[in-house]
Amino acid sequence: MELHPILQEFLDTWVYPTGFSGPGYDFRMHITQRCIPAWNGMTISAVKAAQEDAKTPTREWLWSSVLAGYAGEGPQMSIKQMSTQLLSVSLEDQERYIDLQRMRAQQVWDEVKHGMLHADVLLRGGYVKREEDLMDNADANTLGILSYFGCTAMFPHIHPLARAAQHYFFEGSACLGIQVRMRCMNDSLDLHDNLSQYHEELMHFMEGKYQMDVYALTEKDQRAIEDTLDFLLKPWAPTLADALARAKQGAAA
Amino acid sequence: MSTQPEKIAIRIDHDKCTECRMCYVVCREINLNAVVIDPGPNHLHEIDMGRCTYPGCTVCLMYCPAPASIVEVVSGLSLVPPPAQMWTQDKRWPRRAPRAGN
Repeated sequence: MELHPILQEFLDTWVYPTGFSGPGYDFRMHITQRCIPAWNGMTISAVKAAQEDAKTPTREWLWSSVLAGYAGEGPQMSIKQMSTQLLSVSLEDQERYIDLQRMRAQQVWDEVKHGMLHADVLLRGGYVKREEDLMDNADANTLGILSYFGCTAMFPHIHPLARAAQHYFFEGSACLGIQVRMRCMNDSLDLHDNLSQYHEELMHFMEGKYQMDVYALTEKDQRAIEDTLDFLLKPWAPTLADALARAKQGAAA
Repeated sequence: MSTQPEKIAIRIDHDKCTECRMCYVVCREINLNAVVIDPGPNHLHEIDMGRCTYPGCTVCLMYCPAPASIVEVVSGLSLVPPPAQMWTQDKRWPRRAPRAGN
């Protein structure tokens, strides 16, 4: 497979460097191999979308994309999705995962702040006069994505490390998408929307990387991550409607 | 007898650092505890060179997401993202026991 240069650079710069040897790192390399085809396809698609957006004289594309970002990272979704992750660590497990709990507590603020940044873009762009104008807009408050910011994020994971798959695969995807926008677009608001989040998205990717390198040392721990990735890589996982349709088909069969 | 590389002072560039604490977490994980919290009101993270063993250990560099936020003091060399020579096998944890005669 020929890798897109943006992905190759991401792999060489942020993915492959490691501070640890052993089963955790070996497992992460296995997970990386599974992520690469999806990351590559996503990067190529993102480049095409950015090139189309760059040719569009209006900023209609910005409104819809920023609105989706606001829906996914507004206070309600951010607090709910991250609190479920915090609660996946039991009192007995706290000694082992105390740093993960702190990182996830910090991520509540990171995600809430991203929602604020999206609102800032909409205000600067003149799409709304006040953030309160978004409250009655369904698109600003719902997101039909199952994974990460969607429905599955609203339920506690059964294992404290399951989140690592989302941190690694989805945050890696976010980093690649942001890199594409920053390199292919020359729009100040789009740049603001992406650049202002980039380091935090990369930090959350690093959190997934760290969890696997350091904690995913046994088959049981690795299974929790791999099972989550199995779900995330399903072609129907990104959209709620597709998943529900599949579930109905399964029930009828 | 194994030889330790000569220590080189490194520091956090607070104009680049995002205070994500990954360096603090990972340094604590390996029990070096060389990343410390400054007692000032901003709770900035600093590197205690009394404990840091860079370039013997480079583990914090591997999980830092903020480019150029950790640098060598004298040379000014940026260590994030980590140059390839910083994550060779002999710098990774857990440390391999030195072979007899080494």
